[in-house]
Amino acid sequence: MHLQSIGKEMIYMKVTICVGSTCHLLGSKRVVDRFKELVAEHNLSDKVELGGKFCMGHCGEGVCVTIDGTTHSIAPEAVDELFNKEVLTKV
Amino acid sequence: MNDLCIDSGYISLIKAGEQLCGDRVVFAADDGTAICVLADGLGSGVKANILATLTSQILATMSAGGMSVEECVNTIVRTLPECSVRKIAYSTFTIVKIRDQRYVELTRFDNPHTVVLRDGRNFDFAYAPRMIEGKKIYESKFEAQENDVLVVMSDGAIYAGIGEEYAFGWERENIIRFLEAHYSPDLTAKQIARMLASECNRLYHGRPGDDTSVAVMRLCRRRTANMMIGPPSSRGLDNLMLGEFFAQTGTRIVCGGTTNKIAARYLGSELTASLDYADSDLPPIYNLPGVDLATEAVVTISRVLEYADEYLSGTRLSASWEKGRDGASRIARELFDPATDINFFVGCAMNPAHQNPKLSLAFGVKFQLIDRRSKSLEQMGKRVSVRYY
Repeated sequence: MHLQSIGKEMIYMKVTICVGSTCHLLGSKRVVDRFKELVAEHNLSDKVELGGKFCMGHCGEGVCVTIDGTTHSIAPEAVDELFNKEVLTKV
Repeated sequence: MNDLCIDSGYISLIKAGEQLCGDRVVFAADDGTAICVLADGLGSGVKANILATLTSQILATMSAGGMSVEECVNTIVRTLPECSVRKIAYSTFTIVKIRDQRYVELTRFDNPHTVVLRDGRNFDFAYAPRMIEGKKIYESKFEAQENDVLVVMSDGAIYAGIGEEYAFGWERENIIRFLEAHYSPDLTAKQIARMLASECNRLYHGRPGDDTSVAVMRLCRRRTANMMIGPPSSRGLDNLMLGEFFAQTGTRIVCGGTTNKIAARYLGSELTASLDYADSDLPPIYNLPGVDLATEAVVTISRVLEYADEYLSGTRLSASWEKGRDGASRIARELFDPATDINFFVGCAMNPAHQNPKLSLAFGVKFQLIDRRSKSLEQMGKRVSVRYY
């Protein structure tokens, strides 16, 4: 139990944002910038790793953001909502 | 035929207060002969521009068609409109013809003497005068060597700084000294032209007293750049396309996310994407060991085209792509300057994402881009080949 909770402290969340053509045109840069700001604001830089990602073939309505293996397609305005729901509650 | 090629470039500065340049530089090529014509129309502004444009186009077209100097001058004298003030039809000109990357023929009428640098030092050559249609034409012939640089100027260059920095203007001797001092074998024709024109502009205190043009031709070794863009129309063609791409010598550039993925698989190396935006409007470049440059495709290449238009317009002293770390600037630096032969490997797979109406991408955007870019590069004097898969 003790060990597991230590393990939990060390949990490292990987957030990758697609930088392919479609996502770029739909606003990847704004999503990246907002994620960087939120991670800094919440002092999560040692727990959340941000990275770039290539097209996974889910091009559509929004920018593809993958959090721990699950891909979300979001508008640049929806970053805060996604961050609060999928990142803040899990780290 | 040797394995040299001719790199050419020019810069024209417009006389302060004018909208149009009264000098005109035209490059043309025909069947192993490279041609450069620099014409300087009488006066400045619209009238000079029309005279210089007519003169340079007529001379370039006729010279490329193999017509003699007499025929060219004859045509000019009979076709140019007369100046209503001065009652003469007049535009000075210099014609440079380089056959088989070796035999140089210079024909000059009232323009400053062309400067030739051989291994960075002034190379003196003889001129013989001849009267054609009452005009005194100077002609010269010599054999060029690798690294020879021919610098053709309008008189705005030699008069730069007149009455200010220099009593009689900059003069040819000083220009030779400047070129010798700043010469480096890896400077491209365009860079040499820009360097000299910038100095003239400085001597004019940023307000040129006359249209000033510098056109440069340089003999250099051929260099190849290869660019692959888009996955092939069917998976079965992957290995064919990649095999042919990686069999080439020269620089290798891979554009497109999926294209980079299949290249990574072929090479067995790891492809990574960073979030480092060197330019906020362009996706970051990728990293793929085994190729010289890996980037996104359509957005980046659209920007490369803007840079190509800027390069071809020839009136800017500084180029935005010369220092940028973004993918488009880096592609421009590889393709515009050192490369003489460019091979495109274009995969024809349809990208369903490009059909998204939210993206404002034109139908068949990739092919339009390749087509427009091949044309721009050909205008820069490059040999372009395109293979589709």
